[in-house]
Amino acid sequence: MRRAWFHGAGLHTTLGATLSENLDALPAGPPPPGVTAVPLGETVEPVPSMLLNGLPLTDVETRLWRALEPVIDAALTASDLTPLQRERTALFLGTSSLDISVTEAIYARALTIDAAHPLMTNAAMGGLAETIARRFGLRGPDYTINTACTSSANALIYADAMIREGLIDHALIVGLEIFNVITALGFQSLALLAPNGMRPFDAARAGLVLGEGVSALVVGATPGPSGFHLLAGANLCDTHGVSAANPDGSTVAAVMQQALDAASLAASDILAVKAHGTASLLNDEAEAAGMHRVFSAIPPMLAMKPFIGHTFGACGLGELLLVCGAIERGHLPPMPGISAEPGELGLTLNQTWAPVGKGAFLLNYFGFGGNNTSLVVAND
Amino acid sequence: MTEARIAGMGDYLSEEGGDLTDLKPIVKATLGAPVRRIGRFISLALIGAGRCLDGRTPPPDTAVYFTTGSGDFEVTVEVLEHLFRDGFPPKPLSFINTVSNAACFYVAKAFGLSGRSTCLGNRAFGFETALQLALLDLKQGTVKSALIGSADIVLDPLPIHRQRLSQPPDTPIGEAAHWLWLTAEGESGALPACRFFASRDDLMVWTATFDPATTVLGLGEGVAGDTFDLPRTFDYRTGRPYYDSRTAAAPSAFLEQATPGETMLHVSTDGAGRYAAFTVRA
Repeated sequence: MRRAWFHGAGLHTTLGATLSENLDALPAGPPPPGVTAVPLGETVEPVPSMLLNGLPLTDVETRLWRALEPVIDAALTASDLTPLQRERTALFLGTSSLDISVTEAIYARALTIDAAHPLMTNAAMGGLAETIARRFGLRGPDYTINTACTSSANALIYADAMIREGLIDHALIVGLEIFNVITALGFQSLALLAPNGMRPFDAARAGLVLGEGVSALVVGATPGPSGFHLLAGANLCDTHGVSAANPDGSTVAAVMQQALDAASLAASDILAVKAHGTASLLNDEAEAAGMHRVFSAIPPMLAMKPFIGHTFGACGLGELLLVCGAIERGHLPPMPGISAEPGELGLTLNQTWAPVGKGAFLLNYFGFGGNNTSLVVAND
Repeated sequence: MTEARIAGMGDYLSEEGGDLTDLKPIVKATLGAPVRRIGRFISLALIGAGRCLDGRTPPPDTAVYFTTGSGDFEVTVEVLEHLFRDGFPPKPLSFINTVSNAACFYVAKAFGLSGRSTCLGNRAFGFETALQLALLDLKQGTVKSALIGSADIVLDPLPIHRQRLSQPPDTPIGEAAHWLWLTAEGESGALPACRFFASRDDLMVWTATFDPATTVLGLGEGVAGDTFDLPRTFDYRTGRPYYDSRTAAAPSAFLEQATPGETMLHVSTDGAGRYAAFTVRA
């Protein structure tokens, strides 16, 4: 059956610059977060963050491309596309902040010369995807999906729909979130940052840590080496609030149920759930309530943000690659000590490097703008 | 579903030459009440969507597909200036609204929608990408009712804004929003197809299947009237101020002057020689 089968992938996070480096780091559990000093006027703001491994926050005007190109190159190379297949590959870029890091750096530099106007360059929403397509010789259609933290998850859903419909045979999905001052200090302003690491669903949860993530995955109409594919996905809009899901869990439950229905599965068929797990008070509450509505028995739960931080628009694909890669190696990643006991939200996270077989897995993503997405992936 | 039917259309367009138009009274007039805590960009999105729905209530599971050339310039510039020039952190709501899909949220909230919601872009084919994904979802049955819209704002000072848009000095520039309401069933005009082509040769194979007697060529960005074997052309761009998503104006502009049964084949091209095309049937 035509669907989005997973082929080559690349991943760069705080855990490592390649997918295998990332996967090698998982059994040890989440690393401690760092702190980035962000200049603000005459002061410096310390921002909890997990920056890209081996890529210091210097030369910001070129850093985005230094991060992006090796990851995309790894995914395309591993997919072994013919020149014609590559030329016809569609591009789906899922990102929240696009290339705003570059715009910020250009503006900050221009301010040292005169009272410059911001956003004189790099403002077009589709500009970055167009450049990626040109640099990698892709002439298929390109799409920039900008739906906050669900961006790259939604990108996968659309790539799958186009493959199923026979409009394309291959798509390159890219998830991108690079450190930028607006995001860092915006979350600081919202008082949503936790200095001591992310503890989703834990009694001591206190918010999120900024993460950087660059991910790429080629999906194709025929099975890839891992057997993983998107079984179904769902995306719904929750109008309870622009920055938080309905805490009663109803809207979160609705998107999970719609994904399960689209996959023709019952909740009991799911072997494990990758939570969105932002560790913020309201969103954890909504997700936990939604889980209890959908699952009469909660399956093993994973939360990937303690490992890599919250990578916003990139978390859809980056967390998917981590989960699928770990499962392919035969285990569910552990989060030792984080949400080990069911607190007031009634959820625990997987604590050991637990064996797992083939089957179906649910992954959740919830974003600003009330954007809620669930994916069901399978490897059987 | 055989083809998407057009249940509604709505537009807003204002050429801006000096003081920017106050959008608040227009939002209030369109929606019947003011909307708090929104700026120009979200206001435009709401005005266009409100005019498209024209007092009707779409099904709650209606999906929203929204595109923009450069998103919410106003709030992004405000946040950048506060941070880098003035040394202040972003205001929380301003920061949240830097995410362009905040406009989708306010449209969904204003009209009671809880279906799929997507903000997306493409440098040359923004409207076509939104339209194509909406048609795909309608065809696959994932969605039965869809709002497809665009919004682009202007920011003072105008000479700087023209520069941002890579437009020559004195080019008329405008703010605009265009929305379509598409449904899987209906008796009205139709939007049968939206396709992308890697080359002109690929496009020509498709365009050759259209009947010149009933088909008019819609001149999208970068396309000249003598480019294809269709003798009649439809130019809706001449005389219209510049804004990024002008292509989104094409369906309603065509349907306002078309005769029943007539089809517009609308073609645009980008700097890389790729093409996007869609059809509208009156």
